[in-house]
Order: sequence, then structure tokens, then C-alpha cells
Amino acid sequence: MASLPKRIIKETERLVLDPVPGINAVPHEDNLRYFQVTIEGPQQSPYEDGVFELELFLPDDYPMEAPKVRFLTKIYHPNIDRLGRICLDVLKANWSPALQIRTVLLSVQALLASPNPNDPLANDVAEDWLKHEDEAIAKAREWTKQYASRK
Amino acid sequence: MLVEFTKVYPVFSWSWDIPGDDNTEKEMGDEDLCGICRVNYNGTCPSCKFPGDDCPLVMGECNHNFHVHCIQQWLDTSTAKGLCPMCRQPFSLKRGVAINESQIDKLANLLIQSQPAVLNDDQDMMMEQEFVVR
Repeated sequence: MASLPKRIIKETERLVLDPVPGINAVPHEDNLRYFQVTIEGPQQSPYEDGVFELELFLPDDYPMEAPKVRFLTKIYHPNIDRLGRICLDVLKANWSPALQIRTVLLSVQALLASPNPNDPLANDVAEDWLKHEDEAIAKAREWTKQYASRK
Repeated sequence: MLVEFTKVYPVFSWSWDIPGDDNTEKEMGDEDLCGICRVNYNGTCPSCKFPGDDCPLVMGECNHNFHVHCIQQWLDTSTAKGLCPMCRQPFSLKRGVAINESQIDKLANLLIQSQPAVLNDDQDMMMEQEFVVR
């Protein structure tokens, strides 16, 4: 494999030395482009007190191409499907090389704080969210307790 | 006292001539780093070995600076849509800036393509001619 670009080394160093509150990203020792990530559910959201595991992969073309990010922990959210795929503009059409691993993970955390059922990825969840918001939020809380409890 | 010089070692330093570089507009922590590869302006992009004329720096109309190889590679992607990575304004080279002069023709070709396709260098040249005809 080609050597790791300086930018990735710098970003990794900063993630470790100056971490974002509530977000933890550690590169895999065998593949420094693969990160194991945890994000704490934002306060006052249905995901509060949950710790969600994600994987983040930097493709060969990074930073020309966005990182690939996926939830590993099951989550009830209108913009995250059952495979953990995330519908987030900065991960697709609105990616910019000025963004970084930390800003992307902050956007994911912000998505947990403000679910957007009008731009759904998980259609059934979004429908639920629009029709019975209280119930959907209760279910998201329940799933958080069940699948994303601090170990 | 008589001083005799036996050897002289001249030391030179250089940096890109960036207009407005010494004003106070800079935000805290906003170093002189290419917004794409995060290497110093006076360093090289990740694909080059030698800084300077082999790996020029360019300045956008929006006053954002990049190694020309970095911004070129970005504008060549379909995600870029011709926009500056920093401010998402349509990217074009600032006129009347010395460091941009040698790059304006090269980059103009890229900017014309609103739907960038995957091209190699030879095809790139052909595209250029097509656009000249139009």
C-alpha cells in the first residue's frame, strides 16, 4: 500500500491529542485508513446516554472523495438505514476537501440531534416519525437503551 | 584589526508572493496551509517532491489559496461542481496576481467543463480546442 498522506497523519494526530468532546476515533493498527469510532448521543435528543459505534474509512482518493462512514450500532433514525448507512449531504454531494474526519463526525453527531424525516433514508422510520412523532421518539429512546448502552 | 573572509555561504529563502498576506484579516489558527492537502503554501502538494515552480500556488477570486495540483484534482471530480472547497463559490483564478499568471490558461480549461468527465491529458488538449472553436 502507498504511504499514508501527510494530511491523514496530521488529522489522526489531532484526533488523538485534541479529541472532539463526545467523539472518539481510533485508527486500526493494521490499516491506518480504517477508524473505529464512537459517538455519544447528544443531550436532549432521543439518543442521549447512548454510545454509538461507527466505522470510518478513508478511500484512496481522500480528501478528493468523502470518507465512508457507517453506523455499526443499531439505531432508530429516519436518516440512517438498517445497514447503518447515513444520509448526510457532506458525505455525498456536498463533500469538500476542506472538510475533515472531525468535521464529518461532528455533522453525524448533529444529525443525531436533529433527525430530518423529510429527507429519509429509512423510509419506514421516517414515515413513523412524520405520523407519530412521539411514538417514534420513544422508540428511538428504547433502541438507544437496548443497543447503545455504555458498556 | 584585519578581517579576511575565507569562505562565504549565502543563504536564500523564498516564499510565494501572496497579495494581502500581511493584513490582519487572518483568523486565529488559520495558518498558511493549502485548504486541500493542509501542507504549507511553500511546501509541495502530496504528489510533488520539490516546492516552488514545479508545484505552484494559486489564488482564487475568493482569496483562497491552493497548490495548483490540489485544486486541479478537486475541480476534476464530479462532486466539485466547479466550486471552491473553502467557501463553495464558483472557483476562478484571481486576475492580476503574479503567481496566477502562468496557470490561468491551464486552469481555464478545467473550469469551462461544467460536467467534468474522466479525461487523460491528450483528450484534455482536444477539449480545449473544441472550446476555442465555440
